[in-house]
Amino acid sequence: MDVIREIFGLLFGQDPELRQIIGVTLRMSTLSTLISALLGIPLGVIIGSTDFKAKRFINRVLHTLMGLPPVVAGLIVFLFLSRSGPLGTLKLLFTVTAMVIAQIVLITPIMTGLTANIVSVKAPLIHETAAGIGLRPFQRMLYIIYECRVQFISTVLTGFGRAIAEVGAVQMVGGNVQFKTRVMTTAIMMQTNMGHFEFAIALGVVLLGIAFLINSLVSRIQESAGLA
Amino acid sequence: MIGVRNVLVQAGGRVILDIPLLDFEEGKRYGLIGENGSGKTTLLRVLAGTLQPTHGEVSRQNPDGLGYMPQSPYAFSFSVLRNVEMALENAPDRREKAACALEAVGMQNFLTARGNKLSGGEAQRMAVARMIAKPRQLLLLDEPTSSTDIRGTDSIENTLLDYTRSTRCTLIFSTHSPAQALRLAEEVIFLDQGRILEKGSAREVLETPQTESARLFLQHWRI
Repeated sequence: MDVIREIFGLLFGQDPELRQIIGVTLRMSTLSTLISALLGIPLGVIIGSTDFKAKRFINRVLHTLMGLPPVVAGLIVFLFLSRSGPLGTLKLLFTVTAMVIAQIVLITPIMTGLTANIVSVKAPLIHETAAGIGLRPFQRMLYIIYECRVQFISTVLTGFGRAIAEVGAVQMVGGNVQFKTRVMTTAIMMQTNMGHFEFAIALGVVLLGIAFLINSLVSRIQESAGLA
Repeated sequence: MIGVRNVLVQAGGRVILDIPLLDFEEGKRYGLIGENGSGKTTLLRVLAGTLQPTHGEVSRQNPDGLGYMPQSPYAFSFSVLRNVEMALENAPDRREKAACALEAVGMQNFLTARGNKLSGGEAQRMAVARMIAKPRQLLLLDEPTSSTDIRGTDSIENTLLDYTRSTRCTLIFSTHSPAQALRLAEEVIFLDQGRILEKGSAREVLETPQTESARLFLQHWRI
């Protein structure tokens, strides 16, 4: 009972560390998701809606990158940002920016791949129908994007879900520095290792709450668009 | 007005369409018949320009006046009225024209319904309305009544007859129904394995077929 009281105390109290961890997590996940969406969705639309010679090869690479292990992404970014790396002079290692970069490396292929899959299903029919009524290629592309809009939102939220739950890459390039780069997942791992289960559970509850909110949002959007 | 010269379409080493010469006369109604995989859809797609032939050429006098309706036309998720308005671009009275076209195919009660919520037959009627919402010189319709019921089929056929007569538009449509070809087409082209086996007046081809393939195909209809 004391444990539950402590968890609620942490959740609704004024614990500065917990608030800071949640703040950094949301800032990092939102920023990395937005940048990944800006890169991945247009790329996915192009790959999914056009035919070109290297398409099969690109799809194969994309599907491989969709399953990129977070620690590998973390390692690549770490090597680039470390003092002796090509971007070492920027001194970004163990900052939130480094964590955002690692997440972009992880999430962009996922968003590109999901978008390309969605578009490749709908695009041929939309393209054929729109061409048949005399719409120009640019207009056809806009209609393809419009018709896939709800799925794109789901893609973005999938990316956000991946970002907020990620631990390996952010641990490597962020370093889990208290009041600086500590996020919910790295904090849960650390607190569990230290035996501070109340703090870990409180963070877990917040993570689950955010996941529930994301899912509710996706359902709501799909319902309002008449696609559910 | 539209025709093909030495058109060959191949896919996976297989010949899908092989037509040395085919011309369509302006203002006439043509029906393409044949079994599944005979090349009807491929020919329509080549004529519409949505499929590039492996070699050969397609001559079109006025590509802007062309309307093409695929076998499963896409119904956009906005209103039925807006789905039809799409075909009218910036015409000032596009709303009235779209509503009028929908009325012609018996869809006047569906103006505000979402396109993606329509049944297959309703979506097909809406797609026909999209085709006839403005005057065109050439209509290419791939099985325009494949999902409609008898009333819907009747409504579409009458609408197409009225439209082609009033606009002098050339109509080329594919169908699995020889009866529909007889009702709607002046000329019938019988395709088999991508080649034209018979071409002539609808009555001539359908009632006195000259080739064995056409006879076999039409024999089921007569029964």
